[in-house]
Amino acid sequence: MIHKVLFTAMAAACLSGASAGLQAQEKPVMATVVKISGIPWFDRMHVGVKEFAAATPSVTAFQNGPSNADAAQQLRIVEDLVARKVNTLAVVPMDPAVIEGVLKRAMDRGIVVVTHEADNQKNTNANIEAFDNADYGRALNEKLASCMGKQGKWTSFVGSLGSRTHIQWVDAGAENAKKYAGMTLVDAKNESFDDANRTYEKAKEILRKHPDLRGFQSSAGNDVIGIGRAIEEAGLQGKVCLVGTGLPNPSAKLLESGAISAIGFWDPKYAGIAMNKIAKLLLEKKPLTDGMNLEVKGYEKVSVKKGPGAGVLMVGNAMVIADKSNYKEYLF
Amino acid sequence: MKPKTDPQLAFLISINVLILLCAAILSRGAFIDSYNLQSMAAQVPELGLLAIGVMLAMSSGNGGIDLSGTALANLSGVASALLVSAFLSADADPWAFTVAFVAVAMLVGLLGGVLNGLLIAHLGLTPILCTLGTQMLFTGVAVVLSGGVSVRVGSAGPLMEIANGLVCGVPISFVIFCVISLLIGMTLKFSPFGIQLFLMGTNAKAARYSGFALSRILIRTYGMCGVLAGVVAVLIASRNVNVKWDYGQSYLLIAILITVMAGVKTEGGYGRMICIFLSATALQLLSSMFNFLDASNFIRDFAWGMLLLIFLATMRYDLKSLFIRTTSIPTSSVQRPPASTNHS
Repeated sequence: MIHKVLFTAMAAACLSGASAGLQAQEKPVMATVVKISGIPWFDRMHVGVKEFAAATPSVTAFQNGPSNADAAQQLRIVEDLVARKVNTLAVVPMDPAVIEGVLKRAMDRGIVVVTHEADNQKNTNANIEAFDNADYGRALNEKLASCMGKQGKWTSFVGSLGSRTHIQWVDAGAENAKKYAGMTLVDAKNESFDDANRTYEKAKEILRKHPDLRGFQSSAGNDVIGIGRAIEEAGLQGKVCLVGTGLPNPSAKLLESGAISAIGFWDPKYAGIAMNKIAKLLLEKKPLTDGMNLEVKGYEKVSVKKGPGAGVLMVGNAMVIADKSNYKEYLF
Repeated sequence: MKPKTDPQLAFLISINVLILLCAAILSRGAFIDSYNLQSMAAQVPELGLLAIGVMLAMSSGNGGIDLSGTALANLSGVASALLVSAFLSADADPWAFTVAFVAVAMLVGLLGGVLNGLLIAHLGLTPILCTLGTQMLFTGVAVVLSGGVSVRVGSAGPLMEIANGLVCGVPISFVIFCVISLLIGMTLKFSPFGIQLFLMGTNAKAARYSGFALSRILIRTYGMCGVLAGVVAVLIASRNVNVKWDYGQSYLLIAILITVMAGVKTEGGYGRMICIFLSATALQLLSSMFNFLDASNFIRDFAWGMLLLIFLATMRYDLKSLFIRTTSIPTSSVQRPPASTNHS
C-alpha cells in the first residue's frame, strides 16, 4: 500500500518531467566521451564541443564522461551510447585496449567512431593527434635554445622511461640541440613521475651538481612546476631557462616570475572541435585527404595516414608554445 | 518464507518498473528497443556477480565483507590470459583455449577466495582489513604479472560468445548470471550450509556452542566469493578482449551499494538473492537512462545516492503509521520494573 502511494507519486513526478524531454530528436546525434568529467582539461574540451554544437545547428552534439577515472565506467557510457544508436562517437579513451570490443560493436552498428590520443586504437574510423611528437620536441628545444642564447649545458626530464611520447619529445629535442655547437646535454632523461615534489628535489640536486647549467626541457605536466620552484628558490630566474609541457593556469605564477620560460601544450578545446568535424565529414561520407583543412585552429593542414586498424591516423599541428607574453590567451 | 509480501521486494520491483517506464517515455521508446535491453542485460552481470560476493561475505556476520572482489577478478583474468596463452593458441584450438581460460580464471579466483577465508577463519583477521590487504595484494600481483599494461586475451570463438552471444535473444552472460543467482539462492535457502551461514551471521557465539564448523563455513563462503570473481573475470575478458589490473576500480562501492539496497543486513544473517538481482537491475536501468538523456554522470551518482536514501527511509520508517491510526498501544517501554527492586 505505501509503495503504491510512493509509486504513483514518483510516476507523476516523472511523467511531468517527461513532457519536457519529449522534444523531437530527428537531427543526427554526435556524442563525445572523455576520460573523466569535471577536470580542467576536459572542461576545456567541453567548451569546444559546445562551440561546435552552437556552430552546427543541424546536429545535436554533447559531451559526457565518467565521474571517476575508471576505464570500466567509460566503457559503460560508450555501451549505452552504442545501444542508443547515436550517429557519431568521439572518444578520448582512458585505455584504448579496454574499449576495443565496444568500439567494434559500435562500428558494426553503423556508428562513426573517431578517437583522440589513441594512435594504437584499431577499431576506429579515424584517430586524430594534435601534433607530431618529434615536431613538438623540436619546437620545445628550439624555444629553449633561443632562451639560452644557443650556449651552455642543459638537461631533460621525462615522466618515466616507459612513457613513449615523452621519450620521443626529448630525443627529438636532443637531436635538435646538436645543431648548436655550444649546447651540451648533461644527465639526460631524469624521471619525474609527474610528481612536482620529486621533480623539485631532483632539480635542486642537478643545479648543485652543475652550477653552470643553463636550461631544462621537461615533459610531464607537473615537471615545470617542480623545476620552476627549484629555480625560483635559487634565485636563478632569467639565468636558467625552463621549457616544458605544462598547463597555463597552474603555471601562471611561475611564468610571471620568470622561473618558467615557456610552456608547451595543445588546446583540448580545438581537439574537441576537430574530432567532431572529422566525425561529421565521415557521417556525410566525405573523404579524408592528406593535407586537408578542418577549419579549426591548429588543424588547418592535417596529415592523413593509414592507422593500425582499418581507419586512418590523422596528425594536426596544434601545438601551442606559450610564454609570459601570451599565456593569458589560453587560461585553463 | 513469509506469507505477506516482503516490503523490500515490493519496493525494488516498483522501482524497476518505474524507471523502465520513465526511461521508455523520456526516450520515446528507444530505451525499450531490443538492442538496448540486450546491451543493458549484458552490462548487469559484472556488477551483479560482485554484489552477490559482497552479500555472501556480509551474511557471515561479524563484520564480514569482501573488498577484494574486483581486484581478484582482474588478477584471475590477467593470470589466466598469460598462462593459457603461453600453452595454447586461441586460433588453432579455440575450444581448448576457452575451456582452459575459464578453468584457470575460476581456479585463481577460488584460490584467492580461500586465502581470504583462511586468513579470516584461522588468523581471526577482521574481514574488512583482511580483504583490504588482499585487495592490494591481488592488484599488486596483477601489475607485476602484466607489467602494468593491458593483456590481450586471444579471441577464441567460444570465449567471445560467452559475453557477446545470445540465446533466444537473451545475452548468454545474463543467462549465466540468472543461473548463478538461482543456484546460490537455492543453496542459501535449502542447503545445510546456507542455513548455517545465516544462523552464524545472526549469532556467531550461539552457532559455535551449537557445534557449527565455523571455520569451514567461512572458508566456503569466501571461496564462493572468489569463484564469483573468477566468473566476472571470464565475462570481462570475453566482452572487452583485453584484461587489465585497474579495470573497474569504481565497482567495489557500487557492488556494496547494490547489496545494501537489496536489504542485506550489514551485521549479517539476512539477505535475499532476488533482491540483489532486482537491485542490480535497478541501478543499471537508472544508469543507462541517464546516458540516454545526456545527463552528467555526476547526476547518476546523485540519483543512486537518492535511491539508497529513499530506500533506507521507507524501510526504517513505517509510512503506514501516517495514514492508518494504530489501535494497539505500545506497552513494552512503560512496563514497571520488577517488584524485586523494591527491597533495600
